[in-house]
Amino acid sequence: MNAVFELSGVTYRYDAADAPALNDISLRIEQGKRIALLGANGSGKSTLLRTLDGLFFPASGSIRFRGQTLDRSQLEQDSFAFDFRRCVGMVFQNPDMQLFNPTVFDEIAFAPLQLGLPKDEVIRRVKNTLERMELSQLQARPPHRLSGGEKKRVALASVLVLDPEVLLFDEPTAGLDPRSESQIIDMLIGWGGEGRTVITATHDLGLVEDIADYCFVMEEGRIAAEGDPAAVLRDLEMLRRVNLIHEHRHRHETGEVHSHPHRRPHRH
Amino acid sequence: MVLRPLMHIPDGYLSPATCATLYAGAAPFWYTSLRKMRRVLHSRMVPLVSLFAAFSFIIMMFNLPLPGGTTAHATGVAIAAIVLGPWASILAVSTALTIQALFFGDGGVTAIGANCFNIAVVGSISAYAVYRVIAAGSPVASPRRVVAAILGGYVSINLAALVTSLELGLQPLLYRDASGAPLYAPYPWAIAIPAIMIGHLLVAGVAEAVVSGGVVAYLQRAEPHLLQPETLAGVREWSSAKALWATLALLAILAPLGLLAVGSAWGEWSLEDFVTPDSRAAIANASGGAALPAQVPAGMDRLAQRWKAPLSDYTVPFFGDERGGYVIAAFTGALLVILLAGAIAFFSRRRSTQESTYFLEKTIAGFLRALEYASSAEQMAASKGLLQKVDPRVKLAGLFGLIVVAATVSRLGVIAALFGVAFFLAILSHLSFVKLAAWVWAPVLLFTGLIALPAMVLTPGDVVAGGGIFSVTASGVRGAAFLILRAETAATLSALLVLTTPWPWVLKALRSLQCPAVLVAILGMAYRYIFVILQNALDILESRRSRTVGPLAATEVRRSMTTAAGVLLSKSVQMSGEVHLAMQARGYRGDVHVLTGFRTRSADWVWLAGFAAVAVFALWLSAGGHA
Repeated sequence: MNAVFELSGVTYRYDAADAPALNDISLRIEQGKRIALLGANGSGKSTLLRTLDGLFFPASGSIRFRGQTLDRSQLEQDSFAFDFRRCVGMVFQNPDMQLFNPTVFDEIAFAPLQLGLPKDEVIRRVKNTLERMELSQLQARPPHRLSGGEKKRVALASVLVLDPEVLLFDEPTAGLDPRSESQIIDMLIGWGGEGRTVITATHDLGLVEDIADYCFVMEEGRIAAEGDPAAVLRDLEMLRRVNLIHEHRHRHETGEVHSHPHRRPHRH
Repeated sequence: MVLRPLMHIPDGYLSPATCATLYAGAAPFWYTSLRKMRRVLHSRMVPLVSLFAAFSFIIMMFNLPLPGGTTAHATGVAIAAIVLGPWASILAVSTALTIQALFFGDGGVTAIGANCFNIAVVGSISAYAVYRVIAAGSPVASPRRVVAAILGGYVSINLAALVTSLELGLQPLLYRDASGAPLYAPYPWAIAIPAIMIGHLLVAGVAEAVVSGGVVAYLQRAEPHLLQPETLAGVREWSSAKALWATLALLAILAPLGLLAVGSAWGEWSLEDFVTPDSRAAIANASGGAALPAQVPAGMDRLAQRWKAPLSDYTVPFFGDERGGYVIAAFTGALLVILLAGAIAFFSRRRSTQESTYFLEKTIAGFLRALEYASSAEQMAASKGLLQKVDPRVKLAGLFGLIVVAATVSRLGVIAALFGVAFFLAILSHLSFVKLAAWVWAPVLLFTGLIALPAMVLTPGDVVAGGGIFSVTASGVRGAAFLILRAETAATLSALLVLTTPWPWVLKALRSLQCPAVLVAILGMAYRYIFVILQNALDILESRRSRTVGPLAATEVRRSMTTAAGVLLSKSVQMSGEVHLAMQARGYRGDVHVLTGFRTRSADWVWLAGFAAVAVFALWLSAGGHA
């Protein structure tokens, strides 16, 4: 199997004085896999995604992308940077930060234009993506007038327009209502396959089995556990320790009160 | 005129020549800022400047209670200069002012150069200089920094106001019609300077000082890294920029030649002075030995024909020609203007419901008004009226051209006809009259009308009505009519552009009219983030209001306002970092690439020809009046 990303001993700090956000992380991500990065708020998922996307560079340790070192000097070279950005796409958690263009159309055209695709090709791709993501009616709208779910779809579309081989997705369902959530997840599932790699960061355990073949669980900048989704979800004690589940006390219609580890979905 | 009618110079107050000069004065600063920012910040510049522009825009909408019971708002220029340094601050504040003028109609389109020069350039540089001198070397948490920010805010806004009053006061000296009526802003320096400065020294300057000091104090506690030089390393330096200073030196020589040489400053001599030997010698002496040209300059000769009222003995009719008349006239004039400005403030204040949460309410109401305006503007732009179908480039060029023409012509009838054209176009474009009246006509009439009113009495000329102190002069009435008609016409024309064109198309039109892509990207992104930060500000203030029981003391309101400003500032910096990452992730490397897909149809050429024909016809009619 080909590795897309290989990390060894990656450590990253936002501020020299703070505790590291990523602490000695080593992992290997195979091409074509669907990976979930699980962890509570502040466990380092987003930082790891940004490191994988070549936005943050580790203080120590190394990252290899398809066997090539991924560092600042590599990304300053146009040819590598263009290839890398065309190949790896990232959807940010807060769509307000990702949508900075005047219209939905411009937003989706941004990446292909920056990466130097010819204008006809850009327009063709944008139109295709708009149709595929059911956004055609919104194309002339400014992003700030869209609903939360629409914004997220535009953010996803603005990355999928490049047809990247690797998709990094930060909290795909954060702040969405159930219908928008299932729409995004359906699009995500429909898009995967054909050798594409999807890496999703989430703390929503209910999603894991739908979107991942393999999980990494993060805690305080370290990998606390890894394995296939079923095995990780069974390890209740570990999940409780890393703050992904908590004791849930509730009353049933029968009047009986019981408590159990809270996560979705669960059986009584 | 949606947000703040009292802040920026509208269209019609400055002559086209003054506007052009001030565009030229601001341009080298814009150019140098862009160059410097690009060099140090590479790709971070666009998001950083955009977010700060959005922040500055929002800050200009914060209402603040001041000691003594008045109210004012700050411009945020001192904070921007302190955190970003003068260069980025010039760009950010200029962007905010441009969006205010282009989209919200606050400040004239032809006066963008003037407003940017006064507020962004003069304000940023002076605030930064004062802050640096006073804070020099003090630790980040030192109270000296707060004092430095307070003084920086106070000095910068007053300097900006002083430059503004100099520009406005220059207009009646240089531009009058054949009857002596002022063509643009009607008050000479003697009235303009005290009228504007008293308000700024006592009110606006205090607001700026309170906000600047409060925000720096907040940053010291909450976000000290923003006050450290290494945070935005390289941006803050005020190192030498030879090209800039060379250009400015050139401008300093050219501007007086173009503007002042026609008769003011050290050249306040009359035509006779050129020909009588005695006065020639005196002037040559005063000019350091340089002799006057033997012939009367042609321009001066022509201008002198047009000036019936000699400016050197500017007097109000009821004081006759007494020596002291000048001083008393100036004093009365300034007082009248101030009283009227106070009346506006008083009446707008009366409309408020509850005194206790008034300032919060008023600020929140301002935010909601801006949101409502934006969404109505979008709706109108999407409707199927006449102008909505015209190519945005044609509209932009055509309407801007007509605004310039409306500012150039010196016959009232021609300006009124241009207003008629604008009115007619508004009908055919299905614009809502109620909204046009509420956003454009009424505020312009109220503001400019009140400014113009005292000019009817204060302008020298033949008395046509009243008597004694209230002697209304013919040229006074004409001057007031010029100001009001020009302001209304220009405001209607620029509203036509915004209300019939979706903002993204305005940006595209700017792009295809060769406006630099970086600037257009900054304008677009700043506009976008105005709404994000506006929503943030609304949330902060509404949660503040929901926790408020009973009346709030003014100090309390001031504190919560400056804290909110501080929170928004640190959010803006944080957001600019996030946005930059999101841009990088999609292949952004500092250069903006854009699609410009306009197809000009034959109908658009007809429109262009139509705009040109109206402009030429108006100029021809106006010129005919002098023959």
